[in-house]
Amino acid sequence: MTVTQTVVREFEADLVVRSAITVAEDVVELTLAHPAGETLPAWTPGAHIDLMLAEDCVRQYSLCGRSSAADAWTVGVLRTPDSRGGSERVHKLADGDTVRVRGPRNHFPVAPANRYIFVAGGIGITPLLAMIYEVEAAGIDWELHYGGRKKSSMAFTEQLAAYGDRVHLVPEDELGRLDLATILGSPQAGTLVYTCGPEPLLAAVEKACEGWPSGALHLERFAAKKSEGEDENTEFELVLQRSGKTLTVPADKSVFDVVRAAGISVLGSCLEGVCGTCETEVIDGDVEHRDSVLDDDEKEANEVMMICVSRCRSACLTLDL
Amino acid sequence: MTTPSTYSLADVDLSDLDRFRDNEGWAQLDVLRTEDPVHWNPEPAPNSGFWAVTRYEDIWAVDKDSDTFTSEKFVNLEEIDDDLMDIRRSILETDGARHQAMRSLIAREFSPRNLMKNYEGFLRELTKQTVDAALQENEFDFVEKVSADFPIQVLARLLDVPKEDTGQLIAWGNEMVGNTDPDYTDHLLDSPDSEKYKHLPFRSPTTQDVFDYGRGLRDARKGGDGKDLVSMLANKMPTDGIPLSDRDFDNYFLLLVIAGNETTRHAISNSMLGLINQPDQMRYLQEDISRVGTGLEELLRWASPVYHFRRTATRDVELGGKQIKEGDKVVMWFASGNRDEAAFADPYTIDVTRENVDHLTFGKGSPHLCLGNGLARMEIRLMFEELLPRLDSIEVAGEITRVRSNFVNGIKKFPVRVTLR
Repeated sequence: MTVTQTVVREFEADLVVRSAITVAEDVVELTLAHPAGETLPAWTPGAHIDLMLAEDCVRQYSLCGRSSAADAWTVGVLRTPDSRGGSERVHKLADGDTVRVRGPRNHFPVAPANRYIFVAGGIGITPLLAMIYEVEAAGIDWELHYGGRKKSSMAFTEQLAAYGDRVHLVPEDELGRLDLATILGSPQAGTLVYTCGPEPLLAAVEKACEGWPSGALHLERFAAKKSEGEDENTEFELVLQRSGKTLTVPADKSVFDVVRAAGISVLGSCLEGVCGTCETEVIDGDVEHRDSVLDDDEKEANEVMMICVSRCRSACLTLDL
Repeated sequence: MTTPSTYSLADVDLSDLDRFRDNEGWAQLDVLRTEDPVHWNPEPAPNSGFWAVTRYEDIWAVDKDSDTFTSEKFVNLEEIDDDLMDIRRSILETDGARHQAMRSLIAREFSPRNLMKNYEGFLRELTKQTVDAALQENEFDFVEKVSADFPIQVLARLLDVPKEDTGQLIAWGNEMVGNTDPDYTDHLLDSPDSEKYKHLPFRSPTTQDVFDYGRGLRDARKGGDGKDLVSMLANKMPTDGIPLSDRDFDNYFLLLVIAGNETTRHAISNSMLGLINQPDQMRYLQEDISRVGTGLEELLRWASPVYHFRRTATRDVELGGKQIKEGDKVVMWFASGNRDEAAFADPYTIDVTRENVDHLTFGKGSPHLCLGNGLARMEIRLMFEELLPRLDSIEVAGEITRVRSNFVNGIKKFPVRVTLR
């Protein structure tokens, strides 16, 4: 098993939809290839690519085919009506269409082990499927526990049928939820657990794995939890357009604090970027959004910001205050 | 305004609803804040008692720590049987990722910017009509003519329900939130009779009617492209990829019907009463009506339409020098925090020039912070912006009666006499 390399320069190109097949209810499998038939960059299971569906609409999807196939990439996409319809756009793609693609990147690589337990929830099967292909080819022992709402909503069950009783399909409407207590009840030496799916499942798997050695559990969240302190604070200039003030936001103070200290009234409540009370209109500046209120599209749009936690990448930020 | 009659610590009982009807909540909260800020308040069976948290800083600490103080064991004083919790659970009683996923289905509709864009024009017009209609008479009940129907009309618009149904929505809201007041309901929460409705929110049989009504709206809008809240709940997938169950929808719809209704109404009534009692403040706002915008937070602090919300300790923890045990009910008395001398100088006085009024009216620091806070702010601002310039004088013209509840700080009857400019 290979370890992922750091990508130095990222691949970005317009790829052609070779096929778009509905593989389960609301799930489409896209196969993407280079228009001139060139080989695509190598990747390892767990990797994802960006589909750049529009200027303000970039979505990440796990590669779910065989990493040995260098001529095409495959992703499985669930239709989730989000605010600007990223997955809706994917579902509208047809054979022969072109889509801008960037990547691949891997934040969910497979580490060497004697045995693997895969736990998938819904569309979370996609990265695990690529792992299964590779682990099976390497002749390593594995099992998959795959939960979904109902059988017809569970993608890739046909491919999985080839693996017999290594695969446990658990449609909730027939069999209830995955029995994690039994599946993960006792830690097993040399075994790693890989899981992907909706947050409640991941939380339940984390809980069930409490007794396992640290490092045994590997999980991928659909929406990555923000890691705090990831970005260094820098000082920047702050212009309050309506009040006609120019202030400085030092590295150790928030925009909120600086604005209030200048005697300008602004609302705030949680001061942790959670509640949305301090939402303020941005006139100019490259905002570094650190809140969990705005969705990706809204962050990209750069029209509003939560001044309690978010900062500015450019030298100057202008707000409608 | 001065505080009403005084209590000794031994006499305090925040579970005595009659005292809240008699406006005797404040005096008790004052005693607790000074003498026993984290106070054990026993309750009559079948309830087991609760910790009353009454200081601003302590309330904030509880509200922001949802790991230690969970909402999953429900958030009012009523203690719910374990097997009924999931049946009655709404986003109010859900924590963590699922809460976030469900809340974000509609949360951005309530952002200040989207509200302004989508609703301010409509709201301004509705406010004018409401004020015009009320001021036809020079004596009227302020609750009935001004504050009662206005919020629900707004809600009806957000939910996109037919005009002829709004009266029904109002009646349902009164019945459920007023579940401890005999004027509002035949099914009092603290009566033995309520046992048979304990599987329903508010222990009220009315909720089944609301569920049926909501499902009818939802089913008709499924697959459509409506932008109203019901259409969003019907057609959007939560970010965690788990669709709303029928029950999730029922409880969400019910919450929307209730939440935007009672609380905003009482905020408007309480603010008006406060301004009547402090005419200097009213004149100050009237001199330059744009001051309503900056004074709004002070009015919200003053109005405190919600007395409390409850959490439950998930572990043994010390709070304000007291040992809280896992499973204990911990009640944040927001109204008390809004009168905390340590946070607001001269807290019983309205001062619309007060700066940075970080009140607890919508909660503070919590993932559960009132979803509709931006809407409430807009409604209240518009109401006073439209109403105050029309008034030459306004005075109380009869007995004010209050809701028998320690949950909502509500006014039922509020007769006023006005002269116009």
